[in-house]
Amino acid sequence: MELSTALKISGGAHGALVLLALVGGIFSGDFDEAMQVTEVSVISGAEFAALVEQSGSGTPSPGAEAESEPEPEPRPEPEPEPDPEPTPEPEPEPDSAPPEAAAPPAVPETAGEVLAPEPGDTPAPAPRVAPRPADRPERDVAVAPEMQEAAEPVPADETSPEPAERQEAEAPEAASTRIVTEATEEGGAEQIALAPAAAPRPRTRPDRPAPSPEPEPEQVARPEPEPEPEPEPEPEPESDPLSDAIAGAVADAVAGGGAAQGDPGPPMTAGERDALRLAVQECWVVDVGSEAANVTVTVGMRMSPDGTVIDGTLQMLEASGGSDAAIQSAFQSARRAILRCQRGGYDLPPEKYAQWEEIEMVFNPEEMRLR
Amino acid sequence: MFVLRFLVATLLSKLGLSGMAILGLVAIWAATPAPAQDGPLRIEITEGVVEPLPFAVPVFVAENAAAEQVARDITRVVAADLVSTGLFREIPAEAHIASVSSFDQSVAYSDWKAINAQALIVGAVSVGSDGRVETRFRLHDVFAGAELGQGLRLGGTTQAWRRIAHKVADQVYGRITGEGGYFDSRVVFVAEEGPKDARRKRLAIMDYDGENVQFLTDDATLVLAPRFSPTGDRVLYTSYETGFPQIYLLDVGTVQRQVLADEAGTMTFSPRFSPDGSRVVYSASRGGNTDLFARALGGGEATRLTSAPSIETAPSFSPDGSQIVFESDRSGTPQLYVMPSTGGEARRISFGPGRYGTPVWSPRGDLIAFTKQASGRFHIGVMRTDGSEERLLTASFLDEGPTWAPNGRVLMFTRQGAGAEARPEIYSVDVSGRNLKRVPTPGSASDPAWSPLLP
Repeated sequence: MELSTALKISGGAHGALVLLALVGGIFSGDFDEAMQVTEVSVISGAEFAALVEQSGSGTPSPGAEAESEPEPEPRPEPEPEPDPEPTPEPEPEPDSAPPEAAAPPAVPETAGEVLAPEPGDTPAPAPRVAPRPADRPERDVAVAPEMQEAAEPVPADETSPEPAERQEAEAPEAASTRIVTEATEEGGAEQIALAPAAAPRPRTRPDRPAPSPEPEPEQVARPEPEPEPEPEPEPEPESDPLSDAIAGAVADAVAGGGAAQGDPGPPMTAGERDALRLAVQECWVVDVGSEAANVTVTVGMRMSPDGTVIDGTLQMLEASGGSDAAIQSAFQSARRAILRCQRGGYDLPPEKYAQWEEIEMVFNPEEMRLR
Repeated sequence: MFVLRFLVATLLSKLGLSGMAILGLVAIWAATPAPAQDGPLRIEITEGVVEPLPFAVPVFVAENAAAEQVARDITRVVAADLVSTGLFREIPAEAHIASVSSFDQSVAYSDWKAINAQALIVGAVSVGSDGRVETRFRLHDVFAGAELGQGLRLGGTTQAWRRIAHKVADQVYGRITGEGGYFDSRVVFVAEEGPKDARRKRLAIMDYDGENVQFLTDDATLVLAPRFSPTGDRVLYTSYETGFPQIYLLDVGTVQRQVLADEAGTMTFSPRFSPDGSRVVYSASRGGNTDLFARALGGGEATRLTSAPSIETAPSFSPDGSQIVFESDRSGTPQLYVMPSTGGEARRISFGPGRYGTPVWSPRGDLIAFTKQASGRFHIGVMRTDGSEERLLTASFLDEGPTWAPNGRVLMFTRQGAGAEARPEIYSVDVSGRNLKRVPTPGSASDPAWSPLLP
């Protein structure tokens, strides 16, 4: 009974509370007021600065600048005045001199009134600016020859080892700008090739949370640095996280073909081949007017694992389209391109060394000749 | 809850089954050999860069005190020759890391590699007590870490130091480009002085770079269109010495001249040597009609090559001497034609809009250079010997009279601007259309003709 009484009391109290909540308008007015928010539009920093300047009462810093600017303005005025002063007779001048001399002290008094409109109208800056541009052209003219000379002599002026590095750094930049369009295209190809490798991984994540979330992140972290070796260990020992193994295997399969179980390793992707091609052609100097520009030459070489050409292995395998001298010149040009651009070694995937241990490069200048 | 469990179990089982199936497929795929690349990795490169090849030429080692100045001079000329081609860029000496103090010292390739010098020229100069200058040089392919070709020794008189330098540069150019050089060559041209309406002209000869100008004739008579012999020791030109144009043959060494063909009442002009130097082909105007003739230098009668009512002129032999390209207006406007060097049927090779003239067969044999007038502008252009692949290399108010460098790589021509004050000047341009520049001459100059490479 006591229980039922308590139940009744409790039920009644709760019922009353619910009724109060529904009828009393707890959910109505307060929220509306709280949710009433003024509309806000997103503006850039520049726009904000512009608005602040227009309002005039914005941040103190621009105001201070505006005030400080007008101050120097009166100063230049007194400067020209003193010039006339020293020049001619002292007697006739006193008449005109006093007002001029009085002007400088008056500056602070009148400045407050005069300066206010000036910053807004900005007539004062104009006369200032005018004389300055006159100086600038001279500076530009003086700078131009230095810049032209600087391209080569700059290294000369400095210590010898430094210029060398800079020239090397400059040359590829110049070359790369030319190839930018192609590079971007090729870069896009690389990204496309890499995309599938990254895309499957996200799939594993939604799957994993269901069975076991903790071990997965560790596994996920491993695959990123070493995408290829993963599939080998994972599918065999760990059969539990099926989805993970599937995703890894599929990702690698999509990205580069079969798993690296055979000796030669996975084949070079189109992106990797293009990267090598771009790296070499950046240094391939073609003299389009020469007979050598008619020669297509095939060069063979053996590579060391660090991506450099093994000394003495670079040789001409085939050539067509010109005299012996032209062929020799074409071969030398190709050889210079390969050796010059390798620098510390071409950026080739080390795990695919077996694929690029031997390389044949065909240098075909036909398209360049026809331009 | 039961329903939920059932659903999850079903989902997992299905996932497991499909997962196993996929794993099996992947395993089969992995087991199959990768799409094999047969043999070595093969890359085709079709895009290079067009830029000057950087080279370094430290001042040639002076092997005795008397050689110090000439060593510096020769080094400068070698560098200037190479740079003037537009194909090479000199790395200034201030940037050099390594120094060369002895001709026989081993080359620190890494130091030259570090400043990106692709070619390195090392030389030494000595001057004997008899004033004889002896120069040795070696060319190194820096990135290959090896010498390019054999070292070479050149000798000559002190006065001939420029020629020694040009020969060194020719060797370097030839070894790197695979083509003959053209620096040790000369140009005969018409030096002009005075106002446009009373211009005095005389034949002059200079090095290809405008140095060592010498005059071959005085300015008493008007001279035109000099042409070198294949050996470079004689010059054919047209002179108004007798009042109307006649062809003269001038010995460059002795400056002795003689009339090529004394044909009374006949204007002869536009001569050119055959490649073997034994014959001369030229235009002769008789009775108002101009045709092509050939004549042996040793004497004898002239052979008529064309007989048309139109004007045939500006003949030029192919390098093998079997054909002649010339200009004719038989179709109504001046165009280019090719015919056998013994005469016969001519084949028109120029078909573009405008007028074509002054064709010159390249020493290489692959191209014909010409002057073209179209749309109020003049151009120097080149085309294949069948008329295909026409390319215009220049454009200006007046460009005319191309002449080939000995290696068929560069063209010189006359350029003149508009107006009474404009003066003719000699310009050169690479056959690719690059590297257009004025050839320095002491005054106005026109009608350049390039000699063969000097012996």
